[in-house]
Order: sequence, then structure tokens, then C-alpha cells
Amino acid sequence: MWEGPGFSPALPFLITLSTDRSRGAQLGAFGHYLTGHFATLRLEFWALFVGGLANGVLYGMVAVGYTLVYGVLRLINFAHSEIFMSGGFAGYFVMKAMVGNSVPSGFASVSFIVIGILVGAFVGAFMATLVERVAYRPLRRRHAPALAYLISAIGASYFLYNMAGKEFGRVPISMPQPYINHPIFHIFNAPVQMYYVIILIAGAVMFLTLDRIVAKTKLGRSIRAVAQDAETASLMGVNIDRTIVLTFIVGGALGGAAGFLFGMGTGVSNTMGFVPALKAFTAAVLGGIGNLRGAMIGGFLLGVVESLSVVFVQAAYMDVVAFGILVAVLLFRPTGILGERLGRAA
Amino acid sequence: MKPRLNKTVAAVATSALLLMAVPAVGIASTSGASAKPTYTIGYQGPLSGGNQQLGLNMVNAVQLAINQANASGKLPFKLKLATYDDQGDPTIAPTQAQAAIANKNVVAIVGPAFSGATAASEPFYHKYHLATVSPSATNPALATNHWNNFFRVVADDSVQGPADANYVVQKLNKTKVYVVNDGTSYGSGVAQAFAAQATKDHATVTPATVPGTSQCQNGTASSTEYTAAAAQVVANGATALFYGGYYCDLGLFLGQLQSAGYTGIVMSDDGALSPALIQNTTPASAANGVYLTCACASSTNKSFNRAYQGLAHFSAANATYAPESYDATNAIIAAMKKLHKITRAGIVAQLHRLSMKGMTKTIRFLPNGNIAGTAIYVNQVKNGKIVQLGLE
Repeated sequence: MWEGPGFSPALPFLITLSTDRSRGAQLGAFGHYLTGHFATLRLEFWALFVGGLANGVLYGMVAVGYTLVYGVLRLINFAHSEIFMSGGFAGYFVMKAMVGNSVPSGFASVSFIVIGILVGAFVGAFMATLVERVAYRPLRRRHAPALAYLISAIGASYFLYNMAGKEFGRVPISMPQPYINHPIFHIFNAPVQMYYVIILIAGAVMFLTLDRIVAKTKLGRSIRAVAQDAETASLMGVNIDRTIVLTFIVGGALGGAAGFLFGMGTGVSNTMGFVPALKAFTAAVLGGIGNLRGAMIGGFLLGVVESLSVVFVQAAYMDVVAFGILVAVLLFRPTGILGERLGRAA
Repeated sequence: MKPRLNKTVAAVATSALLLMAVPAVGIASTSGASAKPTYTIGYQGPLSGGNQQLGLNMVNAVQLAINQANASGKLPFKLKLATYDDQGDPTIAPTQAQAAIANKNVVAIVGPAFSGATAASEPFYHKYHLATVSPSATNPALATNHWNNFFRVVADDSVQGPADANYVVQKLNKTKVYVVNDGTSYGSGVAQAFAAQATKDHATVTPATVPGTSQCQNGTASSTEYTAAAAQVVANGATALFYGGYYCDLGLFLGQLQSAGYTGIVMSDDGALSPALIQNTTPASAANGVYLTCACASSTNKSFNRAYQGLAHFSAANATYAPESYDATNAIIAAMKKLHKITRAGIVAQLHRLSMKGMTKTIRFLPNGNIAGTAIYVNQVKNGKIVQLGLE
């Protein structure tokens, strides 16, 4: 389908390899294997790249939630997958009510998507606050050991997704589409679908806003202060409880919005958060847990790398590659790519 | 206390009545020449437990066939139904089979419904020459045991994959085929059979495993894999895609295929043949045009549907295996009509010789008990509804 003039100038050596079959023969069976795979890679590269980048943006949005909470609390919020799920369901109910069986386009599409993102973000933020209030704050008051937080987080996660399964059923539900999905433009003959464009735009806006908030505003300064040294920060007049709640709200909002965007493409279900959130956690570790920009970059990288890996190994190995990266990062560079804590990085 | 006592009394009374009724029927069948003798056709399948609905679908069709035969007035005997509830469970099935065998008035069985239960029951039925005609047991191995009393009116699992491949390659003229399986033993089995036959039909076949996801019930993979898998299908240039697996994951995949701009045809198996496929495909329109095949038929016969609804109080439209159960019962009745003296072994012999036009297909059995012919039905999703197109 993507034969023809379109090719990637970034990959000229691949094209030489793939068009020069005789060299493959000279290189023997292994050379043949390589040329064959590189030929496929050239054909699929941009399609896989765009799809992977869109997934990566979603991972990044969820990873930010992990990293922010880790920054201020030194805690992995394992209930974050269910915050993602709650955003998805909130978006689903809003789309069901507003879109129904109609096929919106133009301004209606844009406003529905914006409303969906905002509702997803709002419900995500609400759920995150709730989890903080119920599952974490009582432990913090009692200076509970780190293990208690972990158990509490996993308990909250199980509670929420089984509750959702009971209430909404345990099979995926199709989300009414607020837009018509079709190719908007082509990158080197690879069609770029509306869905990916929506995710990329939404992601860019949210990442830039968040980055500015953390770098410039009073809230951002207090988040960074608590992340660097909670005790000193409180001595300097930072309200720690309030900062922690706001951190959960910011992380939950991004997670909930990501849940809506994800659900728009694949439907919503009670277990929808499980694997994407694990991937996002991997992305956060990959970028350097506690580091905001690291989480975003880790998300992009993980999405693109796992997507492109299917050229060499079957799609069945995609998760193996993603979690292989997690193990490799933990083994060789436990601090991740940017390798700093939130306090100093932003 | 009082209601409970009443219930106990009622239960005891009912069982006493039942105990009395069984020998009474036995006597009736052998009584004087003036009254028509009565014979019992047994049904073995799940009438309670998680698969109860499937059993109800079937038993109503069996009852309907018996009622119609009795009402026709052409029979030299009267028929009645006895049910043996095995819950579809291979550990319960043997006791139910032995109960059926012990009832001397039972001359043949419709069932057992499930393959596992059939495998567990047949050694007993075989020993007592009791014919069993299953409407739904599709495990291929069942026909390899030399049980001469075993019959089924449904094609086995090994027929579906090759028949689907012939349909895609020869009837729809698609010569570049992408074959995806979900990694389950069912999905990969059907997909492999499809790929082998499509290759024989000179199609270019690209196989791939895309395991079931954690969004559905039989997998742990991440649903983001479908983005990549769909991009590969499009890059491959395939004009047809066969999916071996279940509706839930296929629904997720269909949405991504549409996103990736795939325009070829999609076919899947009876694991995906469910209205739920349309409910969980995002967007729902991505399910339109998908071919779904099954050894089972959905009834398009209006008079059957009306009679079935009247008896069962639910629609025949979604009653999977009801038409097959109706055919299985009528096959037994047809075999009985050919006999002057009705015996269990006589019915087995007649079934081997039978050739009749059933509602779903021509009922003629191979020596191993399988139905003759391919007998795979093809359905297609049209405007959000599954429509049966006919035999492949």
C-alpha cells in the first residue's frame, strides 16, 4: 500500500538495503532476514511510528500522575490505573448522552471532544482526591510504613475496578464517536488518522500547560519544594496537606483525560486501566521516576519503541519488549534517562 | 415453620408420584395392541448451571419436534420427552447417561450437548446400543472412537477453518490473506486450519499471533497492540483478514483496523458470532461487513420460529442450536418410522441409512457419525445486525 515515491529520508541506508536484493543474497541467509525485515520496516515505519507516538502520549499523560505523586510522597500510587478507568467511563457516559447515535462533525466534534476531556479530567481528579483521602491520608497521619501504603493502594485499585465491573459490566463497551475518523494527512504515504491527531494535540497542550504550571506558578513551586524536602518546605510555610491534594488533583486530571482519549479509540471496560497504567509506570521509571519531563519523554519513547518492535518480532511480543525495557532500565540505569528527582529537574 | 413443612410434604409427594409414574409408563408401552405404544426420546444437556440457556434453547426444539410428530397423527406410536441434566459437565454426564440407559422406555437420545460431556457419556451409551444424535458437540476427536451409536447433525471444528478459507479465496476471490489468532487453543486451531487451506488454494498467507487482551476475559496483553497489528495488516496490503478468536478482542481489533485505514474484508469464527461483537466495537460501524461463520444455523423458517416462540416463550432468533436440535429429533423420529419393531439397536442401524431433508441441511451421516457435507453457515454484520447469508 505504501510502495512508491514516499520514503523516509531519515532512513536512506534501509532503502538501499531493501532495494538491493543481490546484496542480501551475498550476505547469506541472515542478510536476507535483515533485508527482508528492513524492507518491511520502511513500509511500516511511519504508520507504526504515528500509532506508537499516540500511545506514547497517553502513557506519558498517565506516567505524569505516577511521577508527581512519587515526587511528593515517595509512593507509587497503584490505584492510578483506576483513576484512568474512571476518566474513561465518565467520558463514555457523557458521549452516550451527548452524541448518542448522531454523527457530529466540525465545531460540534471539537466541542464534544473538549467536553469529554474536561469531564474525564474532572472525574479523574475527583477520584484521585478520594483515593488520597481514603487510602493514603489516614496512613500518613499515623506515619505508617511504606508497605502499608502499597497494600492500601492495591486494595483501592481492586476495590475500584471490581466495583466498576459490578456496576458497568465486565466486557468492553463501545464509546459513541464524537468525530468521524479518517486520514487527515499523510507522512511519507502513511495515513495519519484524526484519532491520532486529536491525541497528539490534546497531549501537547496538556504537557506544555503542566510544564509551565510546575515551573512558574506558586503551586508548582510548592510541589517542587515538598518533593525536595517536605519538612523544610513546611517550615517555610508550605501547606503540605494542601500541596499533596493538589498534586493528586493534577495527576488525576491528566490520568482521567488520558482515560477518555484511550476509551474513545478502544472502548471502556473495568480492566481498561490495568496494562496501560503498568506501561505508564514503566515510562515513568524509564524517564526517571519523580522527574516530570522524564515521564513525558519516557512515555513517548516506550510507545514508539514497543510499536516499532513488532516489525522484528510479532505483536505478541510487544508487552515483552515494553516490560523488558523496564527490567533493563532497573538493571543498568535505575535513575532513568533524566535521572533526577522532581525537585531539581523542573 | 409451616410453609417449610408444606414444602417438604410436597417434595416427598412429588417424588413418590414420580416413582410411581416411571413403571407405569413402562407398562403402557407394552400394553395391548389397541392403544398406541409410547416411546421416550431423551435429551441430555445443560438444564441448570452457567450454560443453562443453551440447554433451554435445545430442549424446547426437541419438545417442539415431538409435539409436532404426535400431532401429525401419522405415527404408529406416541412420543414423549425425558430430560437428563448434565450441566454440560463431564463429571456429571456419566450418571445422567446411566439414568437414561436404565429407563427402558428411552429409545434414543438427543445430545449430549457438550463435547466433554459427550466423551464421558458415550462409553455407556455405546455399550447399550443407545443412539445419540448431538446437535452441538463439535470436537473432531469424538468421531474417531468407533462408537457406532454416535451421530451429530453439526459439522465438527476441523471443517470450519478450511471451509472458511475456501469461501474467502474461491468465492470472494481474495488472494492476499492475513491470518490472525488470539493465542487461545480454540482461536489458533481455527486460524491454523484456515491458513493451511488458504495456502492450498494458492493464496498468499501471512500468519500472526495477537494475544487476547486484559480488556477481555481470555487474555493479559495490552490493547495498544492492536494499533501496531492493524498498521501491519495495512502495510501488508492484504485484502482479507481472518481472525481466529472471540468477539471481545475482535471488537477492539476492528476499531483499530478502521483507524489504520484497512478496507479489505474481515472474517471470523463462531467464537465471534455474538451480538456483543457489535456492542463492544468502537466505533460500532467498524463491525459492519464482517463475515462470521458457524457450524450452527440460525432459523429463518418463519413457521418454526412462530411455533418455537409459542412453546419456549423466547425468540428462536438467538436460540443457538435450536434448529439443530429440531433436526436431530426429527432424524430420530424418521429412523423410528422405518422400523416395524422399535429397538434401540434398530434405531442405530436406521440412522446410519438415513437421508432426509432437515431444516438446517440434508441429514445424512458418515460411517463415523459425522454429518455429510461441509455444513458451515456464513453470516454478515449489516447495519449493526448479524444476518445469515446461507451455507458456505
